[in-house]
Amino acid sequence: MIEWLTTTNHKKIGIMYIVAVMFFFTVAGLLTLVMRAQLAVPNNTLLAPQQYNEIFTLHGTAMIFFVIAPFGIGLANFLIPLQIGAPDVAFPRLNATGLWLFVLGGLTVFAGLATYGGAASAGWTAYAPLSELFVGTGAGQDLWFIGLLMASISTILTSINFIVTIFLFRAPGMTMWRIPIFTWEMVATALLVLMAFPSLAAVFAMVLIDRHLGGHFFDPAYGGNPILYQHLFWFFGHPEVYVMILPYFGIITEIVATFSRKPVYGYVGMVISAFAIAGLSLGVWAHHMFTTGAVSNAFFAGMSFLIAVPTGVKFVNWIGTMWKGSIELSVPMLFAVGFLLNFLIGGITGVMIASPPLDYQAHDSYFIVQHFHYTIGGGSMFALFAALYFWFPKMFGVKLDERIGRWVFALMFAGFNMTFIPMGFMGMEGMARRVFTYPAIGHLPLLNAIATAGSGLIACGAILFFVDVALAAYKRVPVPANPWGGYSLEWLTSSPPPEFNFDELPPIRSRRPLWDMES
Amino acid sequence: MRTDWYIFIGAGIFVGLYVYACIFWCLIRYRRAANTAAQQFSGNTPLELLYVALPLLMVIALFGVTYAIEKPVDRVAVDPQNTIEVTAFRWSWRFDYPGRFAAFGTPANPPTLFLPEGETTEIRLRSVDVTHSFWVPAFLFKRDAIPGMTNVFDLTPTRTGEFIGRCANFCGLDHALMSFTVRVVPRSAYGRFVASRGTAIP
Repeated sequence: MIEWLTTTNHKKIGIMYIVAVMFFFTVAGLLTLVMRAQLAVPNNTLLAPQQYNEIFTLHGTAMIFFVIAPFGIGLANFLIPLQIGAPDVAFPRLNATGLWLFVLGGLTVFAGLATYGGAASAGWTAYAPLSELFVGTGAGQDLWFIGLLMASISTILTSINFIVTIFLFRAPGMTMWRIPIFTWEMVATALLVLMAFPSLAAVFAMVLIDRHLGGHFFDPAYGGNPILYQHLFWFFGHPEVYVMILPYFGIITEIVATFSRKPVYGYVGMVISAFAIAGLSLGVWAHHMFTTGAVSNAFFAGMSFLIAVPTGVKFVNWIGTMWKGSIELSVPMLFAVGFLLNFLIGGITGVMIASPPLDYQAHDSYFIVQHFHYTIGGGSMFALFAALYFWFPKMFGVKLDERIGRWVFALMFAGFNMTFIPMGFMGMEGMARRVFTYPAIGHLPLLNAIATAGSGLIACGAILFFVDVALAAYKRVPVPANPWGGYSLEWLTSSPPPEFNFDELPPIRSRRPLWDMES
Repeated sequence: MRTDWYIFIGAGIFVGLYVYACIFWCLIRYRRAANTAAQQFSGNTPLELLYVALPLLMVIALFGVTYAIEKPVDRVAVDPQNTIEVTAFRWSWRFDYPGRFAAFGTPANPPTLFLPEGETTEIRLRSVDVTHSFWVPAFLFKRDAIPGMTNVFDLTPTRTGEFIGRCANFCGLDHALMSFTVRVVPRSAYGRFVASRGTAIP
């Protein structure tokens, strides 16, 4: 126990990240079930308005800042040194600092529940001036800002660590053009974090100054400007979307290549598209502000459309990787296919809402809720489970059950689509997001009932996943070093790997050192 | 704006089905069989460039469509026949027919906005506290009400009827109840309604 709490080993830190992420995932998932219960029927009174507002705020905050984004970081912690043939990351103690700042940040946000006035309730975007009011946003809102400041500092520190590690700690022969795509995606992610997160830290500091030190950054009565908050927030917020997807693009690339028994199709294209996406994502933030009447809609629409091109390159390359391969539909690959099918819908609806005249209807409606859940729920979350099934044997030396895994996938895939397809239609019918109730008009009651039933299926899938983990821990069937037939370096070392990863490394002459050893 | 929806949904379904077909083709055709081996190739530069060029052309076309459709939507008439000042507050609305009278509501008793059919009405939108958003789903349109600035847009309803409107931007406790009704009435009825300072309800 003490060993784990004081460790600076990248693998233990990575695993602790993932354990913390699964804890926050469970809490945020339970909050979802309460929300869906409240919305199951129109004019429901299960929750009071304030309770609902706190719950959707915590759900969004936890899933974004404490599940999807840090899972990428946790997995990268575990994987990057293994994939590049390094004994550890460049700054192990900084790494541990990042982990504990992240965990404490999450607990700080949730500590708001114990305060008088309840947890934060201004949504994950916490728009000023709403988030600066003291009525309804008391100490819980302060804890929210402080917790997220901690998480953002943690992310910045860890990103610096990753960049230095990847640039300077590669094994002999492991040139930049030979590192696995997951590691490349983390280079793009880490650079993006360094560009975007300071804006978040700044804007949250400004709100705290307004709240406690008599500042007026966002108060028009004193010459402040609420639009400034939106600019600073989304200058962070849109790149954050890609911080929550680029690592998962990497995961999918590794898994599709492994289970197709082929090298990654279009390796260079994959790298260029990752940086194109990261670069473009810094110039699209105001597409969240089309309806403010305060930005150039044409410019931000054009930039947003352009992101579809490098994302399309990724799809072409994933399909190219499967093409003429020998595809095995094991559980990680099933989740990867689920990712492809779901994320495509998220991408297409994303192009739709990049068109301002269409967004005038879709913005802040359930259409948007559908869109972003298809990207970070149907996309990132499916890739998260794909990664858990894929690297679980490497992390713990035991394998998860294939048969149970198929059920987990089936329940989640069916449940996910059942929950979120109806939401697009709710939005088109005029249901605003972040509402604790809705009137019984049109198809809204039916669509909401279907969505609630679907969320139950997702929950069953999640429960079954934890059963699978418990059974694996109980049975402890040992696995070989390379259970899936992967060709990157992490599959060379034992499962789980020794303290410093490798006893010796083979000569690295290509992108697939293990393939070279076989042939 | 309906056209924009149709074009994007059409393009989306086309691209979606094409990519789904490719994915399922690969999954079925190249499913692992006993005596087949995967072919070890890792790219095809002309093909990859083609798949950069095609989506690029598509998004350029979609941008053109968007630009053409948005222009008239955002245009504000120089001489609108009517002007209504809309003020959003937590958690209802105030509709001010300048020089005549104003009506406002509460969350439990939402107000009604009267608009004349076939005439252009300029809406001058403000907020007194936090950011709200004026949304009439039947008009496929919303615009934010932001403290410290006035947003101006035109509404020209083409048929009479009663439509639901609501706040779209989260504004705190009773955001869900911050609704209003839009009633589009014939020109003459609207004239009488405003002239009578809201007593002659059409």
